[in-house]
Amino acid sequence: MTEAESLRRRYAAAEFAAWELHLFLDSHPDDADAARKLKEYREKSARLKETFEAQYGPIGQTFQNTSRWAWVTDPWPWEKEAN
Amino acid sequence: MFVYEKRLQYPIRVKTPNAKLAKLIISQYGGPHGEISASLRYLSQRYSMPCPELKAILTDIGTEELGHLEMVGTLVYQLTQGLTPQQLQEAGFDAYFVDHTAGVYPVAASGAPLNADMFAVTGDALADLHEDLGAEQKARLTYDNILRYVDDPDVRDPIRFLREREVVHYQRFGEGLRILTDKLDSKNFYALNPSFDR
Repeated sequence: MTEAESLRRRYAAAEFAAWELHLFLDSHPDDADAARKLKEYREKSARLKETFEAQYGPIGQTFQNTSRWAWVTDPWPWEKEAN
Repeated sequence: MFVYEKRLQYPIRVKTPNAKLAKLIISQYGGPHGEISASLRYLSQRYSMPCPELKAILTDIGTEELGHLEMVGTLVYQLTQGLTPQQLQEAGFDAYFVDHTAGVYPVAASGAPLNADMFAVTGDALADLHEDLGAEQKARLTYDNILRYVDDPDVRDPIRFLREREVVHYQRFGEGLRILTDKLDSKNFYALNPSFDR
């Protein structure tokens, strides 16, 4: 696995954990533990996203730290090279 | 408002094309228990849902289902790359090929195209939530049935991920139903329609 793939997967894993907690909190809005964990994973995923985008190209549509051209030319999610 | 992220929720990299599997998996793209039906069902039911927790659950799950639609489309796309018309015919993919070539179109494994009859928006919170619980189980069983035919770990892995998400969504909808009924008359949940009667 290349450095880019590994970084992308670590970002996706942190985002997934954050998403799962976000969804859990919809039906458990008073769960302070889950809210604290969500904050941790959000921070982690934001750091990983910034690192990835600075080095390899945009993940989100609101990227600021990377090339505009790469949004168009980088592989798209359904292409093997993007996974 | 929706914002796109240029990535899959779970990575997919299929090394061996297999149109036979694509023909089955496409059911979760446009079939009766598929991801686009799920997303449209939840995102459409949101408007008449009474409690804030339920509005949040439907919005979030309806959004995640769009990510799952993209994963299923990716599986179909990668499973059908690089095959000859002859190989597609041997896999039973030729009838689809005539209409759609190697494009990804929302149909069921049995060939019927996407139809809004596949889901309901009743405007009654209890009826809608029960439909949602059923929908998650139907999606789960469809993935279970697909897994009976899949040996390739490159395909099994993302399908198992999708199956697991149905189980989690079922759990959230169950909690949502409980949140709603706790606010209703425990002697008669059906005394009024909480989505309509004020």
